[in-house]
Amino acid sequence: MKKESKSRGVIMFAHNNTEIDYFRLAVVNALLVQKNLGIKNVTVVTDPHSLKQGEKTLGKRLIKKAINNIIVIEKDKKFKQKNIRLYKDTSHKVERLPFYNVNRCDAYNLSPYDETLLIDVDYLILSDTLNHCWGHNNELMMNWKYQDIMYERKDPSLSRLYDMGITMYWATVVYFKKTPYVESFFNIVKHVKNNTQYYKDLYKWQGTLYRNDYSFSIAAHMMSGFVDKGIPQLPTTLYKSFDTDDIHSAVDENTIVMYLEKPRSPGDFMLTKWAGVDLHIMNKWAINRVSNNLLEYVK
Amino acid sequence: MSTRLTKALEFANYRVTLNNQQAQLKAKTQSLLSYSINGGTFTIDIPLITFCKQLLDEGQSEVVLLDIHNNPIKVEIEKFYDEIQSRYFEVTNDYYAEYEKLRKARKVHKVLDLNEEGK
Repeated sequence: MKKESKSRGVIMFAHNNTEIDYFRLAVVNALLVQKNLGIKNVTVVTDPHSLKQGEKTLGKRLIKKAINNIIVIEKDKKFKQKNIRLYKDTSHKVERLPFYNVNRCDAYNLSPYDETLLIDVDYLILSDTLNHCWGHNNELMMNWKYQDIMYERKDPSLSRLYDMGITMYWATVVYFKKTPYVESFFNIVKHVKNNTQYYKDLYKWQGTLYRNDYSFSIAAHMMSGFVDKGIPQLPTTLYKSFDTDDIHSAVDENTIVMYLEKPRSPGDFMLTKWAGVDLHIMNKWAINRVSNNLLEYVK
Repeated sequence: MSTRLTKALEFANYRVTLNNQQAQLKAKTQSLLSYSINGGTFTIDIPLITFCKQLLDEGQSEVVLLDIHNNPIKVEIEKFYDEIQSRYFEVTNDYYAEYEKLRKARKVHKVLDLNEEGK
């Protein structure tokens, strides 16, 4: 793709596993980006299998309409087999599946834009809030502050790498410009990814799963001169749901009705209507279930 | 289960839904009250509007304000004031309308704007 001067765009990574069609989520979110942010430049990094599956189920025309730049890369199969994550479709269904997130640290090199919004495919763009980022004085922004959409539900493990560790930044949404500082930041992210065991021991995160949130948080800590919360936050709060929640329906291109699991009563839900604010939906199956409805509103 | 207990549980469910819906509305309002200009981001609130009005009354034309990240941002005060004031009322009027609608809803499905079948 030809690089425009002062170009702005969104980049997402979509690698399917045996259950979750991440590429489909990327197409839905790309169309939401076009509709709600008014951004036509959308890059999706994927692999041949995910793309083939997308072409089969969605059709080449719709994919072309949603994404104007597809970067196809080969998967690191060893990493895929090693990085296993617990996926939940509410508390009733739990599965251990490969989580392929190894190449997110390449976003800086892969992005063809001067200003980029790196977003997760499951961070649904339901508003134009992220447009506040364009032309910002800060060359790199990401959130450590987050809010669960069920306000009384708290999970302290999401605030720090471990109880007494550094603040956890969310790599869910990252705004960056192409500058030497940001390039160094991504180089550190890559360095952490390539030396996971060392940094796991140093920063003491729990479990064996490699998460980009960890490597981005460590890079943020290092690039801030080993000061906590040194990277500025995005001009928006990160709202999230849990994978124990479900989607009732997609009402329109800005509104989703969610089933939220009650904190003291697992398997029991309450409803909430979420409108006009971007939302990180952890239950990927749930998004896939309403993806046809969402596609109707945005295509 | 007795009718009284069923009604009490229904009401509890309604209260939780209502509280969460009000918090959602607040979140939406907060995000709409964010305003970006000249590479900085401001939260539009009463102190900012009042301060800008005072600067205007003093005859200032270009001033440096600190944004949400405490970065200094130079703005043309008249244009900035007009923009934040109109946005403030646009957003708060919508907030008021939606808040009133919520306040009057007495059933979960009405809070969520769904019909009784949940559609």
